[in-house]
Amino acid sequence: MVMVWALSGLELKAQPPVPSSAPTAPSALKVLHLTFQAAETGFDPAKVSDYYSAVVISGIFDPLLTYDYLARPAHLIPNVSEALPTISADGKTYTLKIKQGIVFGQDPAFAGRARPLRAQDYLYSIKRFVDPKNRSPYAFLFLGKIVGLDALVSKAQKTGQFDYDAAVEGLQAPDPFTLSIKLTETDFNFSHVLAFPLVGAVAREVIERYGADSSAHPVGTGPYRLRQYLRSSKISLEKNPLFRTLRWEALPSTDIPDEAIRKSMQGKLLPAIDRIEISIMDEAQSRWLAFLRAETDMEYQLEELAPKFLTPTGELKSPFREQGIQLDRSVDPEISYLFFNTAETIGNQPNPIGGFTLPKIALRRAIAMAYDVQDQIAVIRKGQSVRAFYPIPPGVAGHQSQYRSSLSYNPALANALLDHFGYRRGADGYRSHPDGSALILEYASTPVERDRQFDELMKRSMDRIGLRLSIRKQRFSELLKLSSQCRLMMKQAAWIADYPDGDNFMQLLYGPHTGQSNAACYRSASFDRLYEQSRRLPDGAQRDLLYLQMTRQMEADTAWLLTDSRYRNVLLQPYVVGFKKHPVLTNEWIHMDIDRTRMKKAPAS
Amino acid sequence: MLSYVLRRILQFIPTVIGIMLLVFFLFNWVGGDPAYLLAGKISNPEQIENIRRQLGVDQPYYVQWGIFVRQVFTGDMGVSWATGEKVSYLVWSRLGPSLTILVPMLVLSTGIALGLGLLVAYFRGLATDRWIMVACTVGQSISILVYIIVLQYVFSYELAWFPVQGWAQEGGLLLIPFCILPVMVGVVVSLAPDTRLYRAFFMDEIQRDYVRTARAKGLTEWRVMGVHVMRNVFIPVLTHVMIQLPGLLAGSFLIERFFSIPGIGREVLLAVERSDFPVIKAVTLYVAVATILVNLLTDILYRWIDPRVQLK
Repeated sequence: MVMVWALSGLELKAQPPVPSSAPTAPSALKVLHLTFQAAETGFDPAKVSDYYSAVVISGIFDPLLTYDYLARPAHLIPNVSEALPTISADGKTYTLKIKQGIVFGQDPAFAGRARPLRAQDYLYSIKRFVDPKNRSPYAFLFLGKIVGLDALVSKAQKTGQFDYDAAVEGLQAPDPFTLSIKLTETDFNFSHVLAFPLVGAVAREVIERYGADSSAHPVGTGPYRLRQYLRSSKISLEKNPLFRTLRWEALPSTDIPDEAIRKSMQGKLLPAIDRIEISIMDEAQSRWLAFLRAETDMEYQLEELAPKFLTPTGELKSPFREQGIQLDRSVDPEISYLFFNTAETIGNQPNPIGGFTLPKIALRRAIAMAYDVQDQIAVIRKGQSVRAFYPIPPGVAGHQSQYRSSLSYNPALANALLDHFGYRRGADGYRSHPDGSALILEYASTPVERDRQFDELMKRSMDRIGLRLSIRKQRFSELLKLSSQCRLMMKQAAWIADYPDGDNFMQLLYGPHTGQSNAACYRSASFDRLYEQSRRLPDGAQRDLLYLQMTRQMEADTAWLLTDSRYRNVLLQPYVVGFKKHPVLTNEWIHMDIDRTRMKKAPAS
Repeated sequence: MLSYVLRRILQFIPTVIGIMLLVFFLFNWVGGDPAYLLAGKISNPEQIENIRRQLGVDQPYYVQWGIFVRQVFTGDMGVSWATGEKVSYLVWSRLGPSLTILVPMLVLSTGIALGLGLLVAYFRGLATDRWIMVACTVGQSISILVYIIVLQYVFSYELAWFPVQGWAQEGGLLLIPFCILPVMVGVVVSLAPDTRLYRAFFMDEIQRDYVRTARAKGLTEWRVMGVHVMRNVFIPVLTHVMIQLPGLLAGSFLIERFFSIPGIGREVLLAVERSDFPVIKAVTLYVAVATILVNLLTDILYRWIDPRVQLK
């Protein structure tokens, strides 16, 4: 038994806590307790792709730009840059000035010296994303976009060594605080990449000191630093004592709840919360009970338990309201959709739903019109999503809330359409191809409970119009592979904004992105031409018009059926103030506070 | 004894090779391609190839097998594909929390089940026996998930005796509040099947001649049951307990998930979700080796408990 107790303490010895320099007595500390429903993978910005790691990273590292906390749709503002970038007339050169006096947090890598943030740190950080050794999941943010950078990548692939000291024409620092980025093509929306939470500055000394273990040693210029870390279990952040002076402010907004936030936060020194304690809790039941017992202060991962605390109209049930629990309900910047493989063949077999002949388009339209999206929302999502009509979700630049899809649920019309194009029913009630050959649709999903519900809904929907459906079950990684090879006929997919710009969604249908993000393998000359035009335009009415035409084109070809966007229901204890879910910022706690006067009124379980 | 141990250790080699072949074959057959999972939301074929090259999954099977063998014999199982953490450290650091729950759980459940088994065997056929056996049958047919959810709800939420979940990184006494409920769940879950099993062991023993002889000699019932019968029952009980131990390490993932215990079971589940083959293969191998070693230890303990046992 003694050995067991001793072993329990072993992890700590391996990951010693950084001694806190905060003079505040522990009992006076403001601590926010959060949960993650899945484990993080690490905190090296260039090496992670999961949401939870990004949440922590965004508290430790500083991107050049960020978003106003309250403005919707998301509005870019400077972060460590003095102003928004100066963009050349051709939209190819971005120039930024970094604020002086910003320093990295303490770390042995700096040998006890204060290490100022310099433009070179951002250039180094950007290069790390494309270094093949880091196999960064976000390399796409920079690959093919910066003059001279791809050549360096090719060289690294040949030599096995990325030359960080080599000059890159598109990445220049004319002086220690000026950064110049030259793009290969016109792009007026590259600023969003510079505001991407993972594109924060890392110090080369730190990366070189910790090498392969850089994921466990994040050192940034952001408001927090890592205090304790037990992988996949506990993450503790504390105020970075070297963080610059930053006061809460936000652009004027018209949202009524914003005023209360402004009133409680305006002018406060940030961060106002001393510690962020994050527990990884895999199970919804544990997260729910922990919140009810006020072991945690905010909870946003209770989708399956929503009927316990929400009324059918999406309001907080009265027992919780009476306890002072707060609800922040918003639609995530994401879309879910059913994609149809539009390629003529799958492997070397003909694709029953592929191609752009009228009968094939009619078949895809019929499938789309027979799929009962309302059932998906009511039964599978338990009412926790809204119908999506436009490929760009709410909160993202380019979203059009008034838009209505031409693909509405109408099984009768779908049947008539199939009859018209010669998909005749046989004796068994199932239809065949117009040439009389057997017609079998294949729908792919993973062998998990949630997907089984989608399978059943799909089967019911297809039975209504006499289409025979077979379900292909594969592991998630295998489906990703098959999808990138255009070898899946139909599948549900979802996309959440990497950055709040319509381009992040419209690129999913761009022909040359087949094999990458274009799972429908959709190749439309008309769509591609419009998309290429849109890439050269800044956000605005002109680009919105192109997006509208592209959406109509996609619908006419029926490459996707847009289904829904999920709600995010965030529950907060009564003493948590200043929270408003941002479409893409994941570190709202930087802008929040804990009101000690309300703590006694916290729900007693 | 020494020659027996050496012989058994030599027998490990083909067993371990068999397990390695099985793990290697299963991963390559059903494991899927991890490169697509690691590549992120948007990736091109060059990036996929780069990842496959770095992971070594682009190599011919015989090369991959050679690397695997080298890893096993050097003890360096590489790094996790998902986190970059050294696999050997990962397993070692998760061992403490798992054992902190499992050891008290096993000790308590074995002790209580032995006591109950003895009691019902002694009162065999009477109401006590019947009621306890009915309770065991009912208890055994309830899923562990139900036990976890109900006990967590009652003791953590309604009564607020223990935290809902969590772990004290500092270890030591601070762990106690976090351990009691998971241990209690583990004990409750294993109590019913163990009691039934141990009752059967006792029933086998009390019908033997030496028991009749002991009673005929006038020994007290306590001495007959508590000393003579108990000593003979220890051998099958020991086998049962020891065989469970390695499997429990990786198999207690439900308890670890619900109570957020950073143990091996939870880590294995995470590795499976992430197709993190280095972690999966390391844990599979470690559990297999632990099983073999525990079997050997059990055989040695037989001899210690009952000197009549010959190790051949």
